[in-house]
Amino acid sequence: MKMKWLRRWSRILHRDIGYFFIGTSLIYGISGIALNHLQDWNPSYSVDLNSFTTSLNLKKGTNKDVIEKLIAKEGYGLAYKSHYYPENDLIKVFLKGGSTLLVNTTTGEGRSEFLKRRAVFYEVNYLHYNPNDWWMWFSDIFAGALIFLSITSFFIVKGWKGAWGRGGIYIVLGFIIPIVFLFIFS
Amino acid sequence: MKNIILLSIITVFFLSCSQNQSGEAEEVAIEQAAVSIPVLTISSFDAEAGKYLDSEIEVSGIVDHVCKHSGKKLKLVTDGASVHVESETRFDDELVGNEIKLTGIVRELRIDESYCLQMEDDNTKKHKEGETNDEDFTHKQELIQSYRDSMVVAEVDHLSFYTLDFVALEKKGVE
Repeated sequence: MKMKWLRRWSRILHRDIGYFFIGTSLIYGISGIALNHLQDWNPSYSVDLNSFTTSLNLKKGTNKDVIEKLIAKEGYGLAYKSHYYPENDLIKVFLKGGSTLLVNTTTGEGRSEFLKRRAVFYEVNYLHYNPNDWWMWFSDIFAGALIFLSITSFFIVKGWKGAWGRGGIYIVLGFIIPIVFLFIFS
Repeated sequence: MKNIILLSIITVFFLSCSQNQSGEAEEVAIEQAAVSIPVLTISSFDAEAGKYLDSEIEVSGIVDHVCKHSGKKLKLVTDGASVHVESETRFDDELVGNEIKLTGIVRELRIDESYCLQMEDDNTKKHKEGETNDEDFTHKQELIQSYRDSMVVAEVDHLSFYTLDFVALEKKGVE
């Protein structure tokens, strides 16, 4: 009788809590894959690099109008944000959205770096990084829910397909794989 | 239905806790801001930061870079000079290009001969264990040698590199 009650409530809670956290699971799943490969790509922005040459006088002390002319030609239609001189003959111009222009003021050779947010990836990565305390607490609740779902999964199926039958084999395999990794790589 | 209501109550409880904490943090920040804090320029930071070790100072500059990996490091720049800032929480990468006024605590990284020896040991160990490749190993060795050369040229027994531990920032200038 006790087992029957446990199985019933495990199914109810597993189902409803599972439904509630589908969105959050997708957020962490997609961003987890994206951020796992940080060494291979920029998961939040696509980056487009281009070289150019300019005859504009961009030396220190130049008028901001000249910089605006440079942006009009090479700045992807983006707005000026700020600029500075990392070295005496190098100007770096920041554009809205994170794009930049870097120009050698002596030779006129320049490089533009155009950043564009990756749709969906930018948003899920932003959340994955805990942007504020509110999300941190919500993600703690989500983590707790995942633990709870793991425990209830022991009870939702009875018989030979359940945790004491074939399901138990999958459970053991699921533990063995990370343990083997730990032994080999730690 | 009961389960949904219970879950909602738990969520609201945690919400109110975090809002109370953030309210308290804001009050502390305002109190701290009221106390006068020395203002340095980025250009003079390396020369003068040593006088304010472990104390709060204020600098203004343009955000050149936010660390792509951790998001907890930021480079503040002006013409020909820069200051590195570290934080326990992530910086918004939208800050890049913004001119900001930043308050931070001056920290010193002191590099002397024993530090160089430790760096060499770590470098050799990591290369031996395959954590770094030949290029990284060589680059690190060259960096360690450059520290030693700098100490010899300056006739000092240590080099000091100053950074800031982030406290607060305020955006200024064009958005």
